[in-house]
Amino acid sequence: MADSLHTLKDSGSASHDSSWTHVTGRSEYVDDRPLLKHELWCGLVFSPYAHAKMKTLNLNFALKVPGVVAAVTAQDVVHNHWGTIFQDQPILATEEVQYAGEVVAVLAAETKSALAEGLRAVEVKWEKLPAIKTIDEAITQKSFIGEQRTIARGNVEEALKNSPHKLKGVVQIQGADHFYLESQAAVVYPKEDGQLEVHSSTQHPTETQHVVAKACGLAFKDVVCIAKRLGGGFGGKESQAAPIAAYAALISQKTGRPARLVLTKDDDMIITGKRNPFQIHYEVGFTSEGKLMALDAQLFSDGGAYADLSTAIMERAMLHSDNAYYVAHMRVKGQVCKLNYHPHTAFRGFGGPKGVALIESIMEDIARATQKDALDIRKLNCYKPGEDTTHYGQALENNLLPGLFEKLENDCDYRARRTEIQKWNQKALLESGNPRGLSLTAVKFGISFTTKFLNQGNALVIVHTDGSVQVSTGAVEMGQGVNTRIATIVAEELGLPISSVRMMPTTTEKNANTSPTAASSGTDINGAAAQKACLEIKKRLAALALRLETIPKESWAYKTAGLGTMPEVVLGNDIETALSEVSFHNSHVQIRKTSFSIPFVELVREAYLNRISLSEYGHFRIPHLGFDKIKGQGRAFLYFTQGVAASEVEIDRWTGEVKVRRVDILMDLGRPINYGLDLGQVTGGFIQGMGWVTTENLVYNDDGFLLSHSPSTYKIPSIQDTPRIFNANLVHNDGNTVNVKGTKAVGEPPLLLCLSVWTAIRDAIMSFRGNQVIPLAIPATAERVLRALSPEDFSSL
Amino acid sequence: MDFSDSHGIKGVHMRDYCLIYLNGLRKEVRGPETLLMLGDWLRKEAGLTGTKIVCAEGDCGACTVLRAFPKFKESPLVFEAMNSCIATVAQMDGSHLVTVEGIQRGNELSPVQKAMRECHGSQCGFCTPGFIMALSGAFEKHKQLSAKTAQNYLTGNLCRCTGYQPIIDAALATQTSSSHSLSQRYLKPDFTADLISAQTKSLLITTQTHTFFAPASLSEAVAFTNENPGFRVLGAATDFGVQTNKGKPIPKALLSLHLIPDLYEIQETPGCITVGARVPLAELRRAVSSTNPEFSKFLDLFASPQIKNVATLVGNIANASPIGDTLPFLLISDGQVHVASQGPKNGTIEKRLIPLTELYLGYKSLSLKPNEIITHVSFRPHLKNEIVRLYKSSQRKDLDISTVSGAFSLVTTQDKGIIKVQEARIALGGVAATPIRVPAAELALKQQIMTPQLFQDVAQLLANSVKPQSDLRGSQQYRKVLVKNLFKKFGDEVLRG
Repeated sequence: MADSLHTLKDSGSASHDSSWTHVTGRSEYVDDRPLLKHELWCGLVFSPYAHAKMKTLNLNFALKVPGVVAAVTAQDVVHNHWGTIFQDQPILATEEVQYAGEVVAVLAAETKSALAEGLRAVEVKWEKLPAIKTIDEAITQKSFIGEQRTIARGNVEEALKNSPHKLKGVVQIQGADHFYLESQAAVVYPKEDGQLEVHSSTQHPTETQHVVAKACGLAFKDVVCIAKRLGGGFGGKESQAAPIAAYAALISQKTGRPARLVLTKDDDMIITGKRNPFQIHYEVGFTSEGKLMALDAQLFSDGGAYADLSTAIMERAMLHSDNAYYVAHMRVKGQVCKLNYHPHTAFRGFGGPKGVALIESIMEDIARATQKDALDIRKLNCYKPGEDTTHYGQALENNLLPGLFEKLENDCDYRARRTEIQKWNQKALLESGNPRGLSLTAVKFGISFTTKFLNQGNALVIVHTDGSVQVSTGAVEMGQGVNTRIATIVAEELGLPISSVRMMPTTTEKNANTSPTAASSGTDINGAAAQKACLEIKKRLAALALRLETIPKESWAYKTAGLGTMPEVVLGNDIETALSEVSFHNSHVQIRKTSFSIPFVELVREAYLNRISLSEYGHFRIPHLGFDKIKGQGRAFLYFTQGVAASEVEIDRWTGEVKVRRVDILMDLGRPINYGLDLGQVTGGFIQGMGWVTTENLVYNDDGFLLSHSPSTYKIPSIQDTPRIFNANLVHNDGNTVNVKGTKAVGEPPLLLCLSVWTAIRDAIMSFRGNQVIPLAIPATAERVLRALSPEDFSSL
Repeated sequence: MDFSDSHGIKGVHMRDYCLIYLNGLRKEVRGPETLLMLGDWLRKEAGLTGTKIVCAEGDCGACTVLRAFPKFKESPLVFEAMNSCIATVAQMDGSHLVTVEGIQRGNELSPVQKAMRECHGSQCGFCTPGFIMALSGAFEKHKQLSAKTAQNYLTGNLCRCTGYQPIIDAALATQTSSSHSLSQRYLKPDFTADLISAQTKSLLITTQTHTFFAPASLSEAVAFTNENPGFRVLGAATDFGVQTNKGKPIPKALLSLHLIPDLYEIQETPGCITVGARVPLAELRRAVSSTNPEFSKFLDLFASPQIKNVATLVGNIANASPIGDTLPFLLISDGQVHVASQGPKNGTIEKRLIPLTELYLGYKSLSLKPNEIITHVSFRPHLKNEIVRLYKSSQRKDLDISTVSGAFSLVTTQDKGIIKVQEARIALGGVAATPIRVPAAELALKQQIMTPQLFQDVAQLLANSVKPQSDLRGSQQYRKVLVKNLFKKFGDEVLRG
């Protein structure tokens, strides 16, 4: 297999379509909108306790502060329930709060300092109530969200009984903050006749529009939500941007004035939900060779206080508990628990990283039990011909995993480095050196929303008479480059340079009923919709070009249309056939047979003058999907994005601090639309994940209040944390025919490869401690690492 | 203008405006605007929204701007990166500032901007202006950067999208020449002369609620502190800015020492280095590289370049944090602070020295009289036969608050290959309400022959003698283990030579 995979080379990729304005500081984000004269600054009043009764909420003193103008509370909210899946969350809490950070009131003032003073003057009396703060407590008290779900294949009990080797364990996984640089933000302008114009940093303008409308008692037609660009989203603005916009909208509606709510990083981190913490109990059976026979896993997640997206996240975790490995008998149960924390939410990878953490951790365990190299265990169990159907019954197509393992093993010199590390560690044990670890893990990430109806997109393509093109889609640009990719698709379809295409802000008045820009699907569904729209325009232009070939140029409409002396070109059935005879290339439209060529701009002008539409709205549905959520069986995904990564780490034996020495990544992204942007997603996703599994530690006090709520206490990777050697490559793969342009989605999958850092840390610890199986929670903080590495240091105190 | 009878400052002619140059344009800023944070002022008052505010605590660098400040000793005058989110406009008095809007020339991007575009160094774009500024600052001093140097200049800038690799690539791909120099473009001699000349006059800004006073002499300063109990000194005010942004009201009387020339001096006399209250850490790092090399190196891990370009050693001391990173070093280096207050008669100054070991009374509490201010700090250079090591353990290696920090010093004698400890000094941070010395451990080392067992024993003694708190950076147990292990690590390094 290895010789069939080749490294893909960058053939020159366009810069991000906002890169010019980004580097000059001229890109406009929500809070960069100029302040209007009567605009109000909004701030939030929230609970300091995980679970409490609000005895009194006194806003009188706050409202008397000079400059403070208005406040809204639950009584002002027309429809005070929201939620993407279950409508279980109040916009503003009434008498009882379910988490520290739950918002009870919005205050608005004319200046920032008046707002700060007003917020200090708010008086709330709380009565603390018992709170559920651990998954174990939730299980004991049966505090659940939704039903338990099961995905199973084969007979797990029987297979476990027959397994010669068995291991049991628990994997503990903490959450992580998105730490998008631009905190949640919205500016709302009141418009005539009660309408509202909402500028929001949201990944889901449609849901934001709907939540705002309902909160304000308006029809959807009276709220327009616009998302020009986001300073990062990563899932954190998929659902949770909506109530933030609603807060500003409620103030705007109440006062008739523009209202701006820009959260501080602290408030944002305290209020908004995180990646779901997970606690996974498992038992696995395997042969002496290390071949998996059975896996029985029970996944519990901390959903926080409200449902948000947690049930869907759990579903994806269950669908990814196999990752790259075939398990003949497998049962995964999943239950979301209700705890008194901020409602946890989407975060790049959704549930995927948690399911993958489980099985990649098991691979390391089996390696210890069988005294083999973990890579050999992985290769032995990898999906391959004959063993290529998932536990939910989806057959793998275009599976590159075995080849990816082989190629990266060679490319990163795995075997030689393993030998070297073994020697190093032997020496380290004797001479108080630092232990090192190496691990190579994989990702097989399912692309499609597991909720079928979300797999649709729409796009509006407008060709102007100067030949330039505007494209509006439901996709939200948040750095990932979706706009650049869609612009590339449109430019290629129309045979124009990318500079002719302008991507417009995402707005619900152009693209309604859209799905969130999430699940890595932005380009897939919106790019395909834009492509469809282009095709319709091209059909008409092609038919027109064929007609124009037969008309002398002096009789074309641009010479005669004003006069009415020549008959108008009226297209008929030729629209359906003309396109095959015509090519769009190099800003020209050419008839293949005759080489008759006409500049695109001239053809467009002729089209307009002949009253032929130059705009089109494309709607696209992802085909082939059919997953039964209740049975847990079917085709959940259109295809899989795959990849592998090898990480090498060193642990400071005195402090537990970890340094990532080297990372090699190899991914299959089909035919990338933009190599450079895709590679940026790979390195960026990986490092973001690396933070989650190493230094990013969410710490709450006894009241369930988040203490690490800013970068001074919550440590995302800095530039010094990048691996000393960092190689990221893609492989050539033309085989993903099911997706637009043969590409594969890239947003989330590389994040899951960060688990190689976590398993490498475990590898270092376990090899330092005589190859015992030693569990390690995520994140592997310095303290946790040191406790695992030298427990006797802690017991001897 | 004449302000008599106000705030104890009598009959002095002074300015009522801050003078700054912003992207080459002269600005006089007056009134309440001067007490806004620079970043907010740039965005909301000056209409320059390229500068982004993210954390508002100097930890992410999105707000980075460049500043050239003629009072700093570095010559020639040069632009250096700083955080605009935690400094008031008033503190920028006398500075030439460049924001991201001032980097491009007409339609032409700078080499840094070009490289960041071409190498895909920008994704969501929100951190990008900060990176552009920090890198542009670096290229004011270098024509090319190595990856390591680029990383060091960018330690204070967080990016959540790129994984940094494309930004490092951009830094490596950038080449500049003097034609791109921002100093040459903006630091016109007459602009600088204008700034310097304004700085000879004291600055007094009074609003309905606040007073900001920046005297040109120490005697004016101590007169002000006498009349304004509850005053707050703004040094670089990197902590004050954070507190203010997080909702704490600004104290009514603010004193800035930025116009007092003496406080920018570093004086070296035999056995003593004295550092003025306004000397930025970046300069200190350079100045002590031969006298206290271990400290100089340690300053690399401490804070970000943006912070070190403004923050001071005196500020770190006055902030009195139990985990102040420079304090263990000062505790083993006979550190003492110089304080000043008004003497019995107006216009006179009373000075005294307080050893650092006597400065801290408790958590964030100093043994200063209400009207005293710290003007200098002094410490001794490392001795030839002294082994000094400074350690800091934190969740993230760079730009992170310590879980535990340690400063260990051994003065040794060598006789026939046997190394004996003559004198030991041990200071720890993060294990008590204040940074501490541990005399019992020092005594246990004194006159002992250096053996692995000695370090083991003292390490255990150290761990037993501290009672740290558990907090979000680590449990009590972990901190005790760290104390033990840092000392063992020290022993390991020392014995290896």
